[in-house]
Parts: sequence; structure tokens; C-alpha cells
Amino acid sequence: MNEAAVYIRGWGAVSTLGWSAGDSARRLLAGDVRSAGLCSSSHLVKSEFKAFEVPFDGDPLSKSLAMLDRSMTEAFERGGLSPEEIADSCLLVGTTGGLFIRNEYEFTEFVRQNPDKESPPISCRNRGPGEATEFIAEKYGIAGMTFTLSMACVSSAHALVVALGLLRQGVIRRAIIVGFEPLLNMTLHGFASLLLYDAERCRPFCNTRMGMQIGEGSACIILEAGAGPLASSAGSRYEFLGGYLYNDNTSLTSAGTDGEMVKAVVEEALGRACVTAQDIVAVKAHGTGTRDNDLSEGRGLKKVFGESLPPVISLKGALGHGLGAAGAVETAVWLSCLEEGSLPASFGFSEPDPDIGFAPSTVNLPVRNGCYLFNFFGFGATCTSYVIAKRQADSFGRLWTSL
Amino acid sequence: MKTQIHPVSASVIAAGWVGPSLTPNEEAPWAEADLPFNCDDLVQRVLGQPMRRAGRFIKMVCAGAMTCLQAAPPGALQNRKTGIFLATGLGNGDEILPFVTQVFKHDGGFPSPNQFANSVSNAAAFFLARQCDVRGVILTLSDEELSFESALWLAQSYLRSGEIDLALVGGCDVYTPTVEEYRERMYVHPDNARALPIGEGSSWLLLGADPARRIGELHFVLMQPKAGASEDVLAAGLAAAEKVTSANRRVWLPGFRLLHPEAPAGWDCRDYLPCCGIHPTAAAFGLARALRAERDALVIHAGVSSAGKKALIAASTI
Repeated sequence: MNEAAVYIRGWGAVSTLGWSAGDSARRLLAGDVRSAGLCSSSHLVKSEFKAFEVPFDGDPLSKSLAMLDRSMTEAFERGGLSPEEIADSCLLVGTTGGLFIRNEYEFTEFVRQNPDKESPPISCRNRGPGEATEFIAEKYGIAGMTFTLSMACVSSAHALVVALGLLRQGVIRRAIIVGFEPLLNMTLHGFASLLLYDAERCRPFCNTRMGMQIGEGSACIILEAGAGPLASSAGSRYEFLGGYLYNDNTSLTSAGTDGEMVKAVVEEALGRACVTAQDIVAVKAHGTGTRDNDLSEGRGLKKVFGESLPPVISLKGALGHGLGAAGAVETAVWLSCLEEGSLPASFGFSEPDPDIGFAPSTVNLPVRNGCYLFNFFGFGATCTSYVIAKRQADSFGRLWTSL
Repeated sequence: MKTQIHPVSASVIAAGWVGPSLTPNEEAPWAEADLPFNCDDLVQRVLGQPMRRAGRFIKMVCAGAMTCLQAAPPGALQNRKTGIFLATGLGNGDEILPFVTQVFKHDGGFPSPNQFANSVSNAAAFFLARQCDVRGVILTLSDEELSFESALWLAQSYLRSGEIDLALVGGCDVYTPTVEEYRERMYVHPDNARALPIGEGSSWLLLGADPARRIGELHFVLMQPKAGASEDVLAAGLAAAEKVTSANRRVWLPGFRLLHPEAPAGWDCRDYLPCCGIHPTAAAFGLARALRAERDALVIHAGVSSAGKKALIAASTI
């Protein structure tokens, strides 16, 4: 066993499809997926934007905190972490909005309850994204180092790669990575102002795609150095083989539609994971449904894999774009799909884009042991790519070593 | 949890800052009531050209960091893998607040797409990366009043791993009206912070293994993440720092939540806060200023968060 190996000890997620990663995966694999709907949350000042909301009977602040709690609890239970192990962990949170939901909720409640009064300042209590991290550390008794990465759509994906580096260096023993992004007026109106919304549905890699749709979510992934316990009752072990985070300075909003940057990032990630393109069983694409992102990523993947492109799957047609939480949420749901024995289909695709040159997988596929590639891109020319290997233990607990 | 000390042995190649008076590397007076100053002249002076379509936060990040780089030897970044670590407690409130005000106060209104794109905290690091032509590891960290310490700690781990040769590490927070709301956003109350004016700043260090061109040495960053832990990280850090330096003088930099800022016996207190005002990343100002001003000194910055977490930075000057 390589001492520098890093394993996924546990994971949990809340998404529009369910209040656990397992439930989300099962609905995804069952095809029980709906398009984004008009938003109903009481804190939204306009209800005309479609998004992938998490169903909840209660106010949006309570919902957000419940999402956080369920995803953390699921991860801790799946990983079998004791309170001492939780305390002895490093916490890395990827979020852009943090607890901004509290400001939005309190503001809209004040206005609703006081129609004749002047509305208060909107953000007077927002202490920045780190407030969420402080809340999590305190609530769950996490006593290790804490970091808040506020890196737009790659926030929690970057956090996973940063955690991997710290684990490999041996400066931390265990990392709890959280992605947290409640639905906010700020982001709904922001992406609308950028004309990046698809008013109909999210259609990753489709020739008819018109933009993204936001999906709220929360997820937690626990990474641990060394040989931890098996991460599933089915006897699988998931190794975080390697990853690469890269930030360019060419364009604030695009990774370059020629695909060269994506190619370079993916190849570097494969190299750091010590695998080749031929080892990749499937690609969990970023696949937002925006014209530029899917073109950049699609062309980049074609340049890396050529005619041997493995199945490419975007989860955003089913989950929406989780923004800073996307890395953790999509990884957690993907891992639960692996546990269920099937790779999910991409939703929202109907017509190939000749400029991309391939179609994402639109059917469930059987899971294989081997390596899975995960891509994420975001504002600020941020790119993250990493490789997770699924290995199966035999009845004696020995791992299949071949990829 | 036992505090772990990981000496980094990183040279401080340059330090620089822009305080609330918008004067590079100088301590000019300002008044809370006069904030915010227009920083376009500062940008022109430091960058040599205006920054269009950027708010004060982005301009301050770039001006502060470039002030630091201009103090570095020519070509310091050339052919070196450089990482950028931007720390900010409050993020780009300068553009977030007008944006959300437009959304909430005007029934959806017509929010600016440019303002939204810029409001994402890491947009500022993007503009800085473009200014100094850096690609690769560019991280934005936001951990309230320990943001700078977190960024410094992470930068030190990246330097140690060899992934980067140099680290441009800085803290930036900018004032947004009103003074009362700014204090509230920082969670600054009479019982958890010293009674000092509020301020803002963008203060930076260039770190790396470059003993020939150093102005000082960053020894380590200690953080005691859990409030109320029995071990005193400040005492442990002081003891550890004494072992890693031969400097003759001792300089104590107290953070704004140290209600009793007095220096330990034998240390000179340099209360930098009257020169920059309270802001979440004020520690960056204190350290950058000390690294430029002090000679042959062991410099300790002691910080505490509103939740009671403690952090200590140990550096020395030559």
C-alpha cells in the first residue's frame, strides 16, 4: 500500500433529486428527473427564473441549514467517523454565497411583514463566505485547520484538490470537504444579467443549448490518507488518485473555445494521477449547457481522447449547476451511482453539436472498476480536473490492483 | 489537538501595502468619515494605466500587490512558478452590495452583469494574475479575520511541496458604507475588538526560496483552530520562534481583537492598527509594514478571531 494514497472515506449530498446522495443517485438512475421549474422559495423576489430547487416544507434559511446538516451527517455515517475523528480533521469549504441566504431571507421577511416600512440594508450581517465555515466547524466539532475557498464554480472542486495536496504532504490526516450553495437571488439575477440562462431547460452538449440553470445543493466528502476502512458495504474502495487545479488569466468568463486549455488541464490531471487517457472508464463532465463552456470542454476532451473518448456524462441536466458546491455535490452523487452499479445518463440532450463532435451518454451504463475523470470550470478562468479510481475488494478484503 | 509547527524557511523577497489613505507604502492619515476615497489616481500611479470596469476592491487588490512587486528585484517572477493567494474577509462588497441592492430594492431591477461577474471574490485574483502575468495556482481564501493567516499557511504548504517557487500572498478588504454597517459586517463590537477607527487595505508579501534577495524570513504560521483549546498557541509559537532566529530585537504586532495588546516582557509593541484601521485582513498590513521598517528583529503577529481562535505568524527581518 502506498503511504501517500488518499481514499474517500465517506460522502453525502443533498440535491434537487433527494435528501441524500443515495436517494439522488437512485432517482437519477431511475430516470425520475424533472426539468428545472419555476422557483417557489419565499425569499425570491422574482419567481420567473427556473432552477433546480431542493424540496422542503419550511423557510429557505431552515432548508439551507438542513441541507448542510443532512449532507454532513450522511458523510459521517457512511464513513463511520467517530466524534474524535471528526474533531481531528481539517475542514475545507467551497462556497461563493456562504450564509448569504440568511441576509436574503431576513430582508424579504422584513419587507413581507412590514409593507409600510422602509426596507433595511440588505447585507448588513453578511460576514463573508468564511462565516459558513465557522458555523460548520463549531456545529460539528471540527477542531483542525479550516479554509474557505471562494472560487466561483470550482470552489469545492478546488477544495478537493487542495485537500489532496495537504494529505499527500502529511500535514493533515483527514479532510472534510464541504460544498454549500443555497439558491440565492444574487446568483439567479446575476446569471440572468449575463444572459447565461436557458429559459427552457439545461441541455449540456446539445446543439440547441442556450445556457445554464442553477441547482442548489450541499455535499460533504471525506478524504483520508493511508488505508482507511472500506467506503461501502459493497466492498468498494475509492481512491482519489490525483488532480490539478489551474487558473488562467486570459478570459474572466471562458476557458477558451479552442479546447486547448481544457486539454492541458486534463492531461496534467491524468499525469498527476499516474494514469493515461486509456485508463479512463468515463468522464463526469462539467457540461453546464452554456455555448462556450460545452464547446471548450467538448473540444478539449476530443483532443485528449481522440476517437477513444469514453462515455461523457453531465449531471447538470438533472441536478442543475451547483456553482461553488458543484464539485462536491456531483462527486458525491456520482459515487453513489457507482455504488448502485450504474453510470447515469446525461439529461437534456437531443441533438449533437457538430462543433463538439460527440454526444454525451444518454443511457445508464454498467459500472466498471477503473478510473473516472471529473472536470469543473468556472469564472475567473478557473479549471479543476481530477481522477478517482473505483476498486473492488475480494472476499478477503484484498483490492483489485489493476485499473 | 497538539499544535503542529511546520517551519517553512521561506524568504520574504518583498513587501508592500496600500492603506486607507491610498498612499503606497506610507502611513498617511485618513478619517473614517472620508472613506471611501476614489482610488483611480492610485491605480494610475501604481499600474500606469486605468482599470476600467472594475470596482474599488479589484483596484485595491491589484494596486496593493503591484506595490509589493515593484519593491521586488527586477525580473523576480521571471521563469519562476508563482502562486497567488488572495485573502479577503468580506470579499468584493464594493460590487456585491450595489448589485444586491439593485435586485432587492428595485424589484429585480437592472443589475449590472459586469458588477456580478466582478463580485465573485476570485475575479480580483484573476485581474491581478493578468496584471503580473501569472497562471497556475491562484487561490482566493475567505476566513473572516484569519483569512490572511489561512492564506499564508496554505502558501507555505505550496512552497514546501515544490508546486510553486514563489508565493504572492496578500490580504485585501475595502470599506463599504456605512461605518456602522461595515463594523457590523466585521462583527466588531466594543467587547470583542479594540476601540479603533475602521479602515481598509491591500497588503502583500512575495515569498520564496531566494536567500540572496530577501528582506526577511517567514518562519511559520500557527493556527489554533478550536476556540478554547487548552493549549496556548501563542505561548507555543513564541517559544518556537525563539529557536529559529538569531535576531536581536523582538517586535510584537497585536491584532485588532486582542483586547489587551500589551507586548510580552522584552518585546516592543508596534500597534500598526492606527495606521490602517480595523479591517479583516489588517494583519497583512501589520506584517508587511514591519518587514519593511524593522531591522534585525523577530516579528510576531498575534491574532484572535471573534470565535476565540488564535493565530500567530513568526517572521524575522535582516
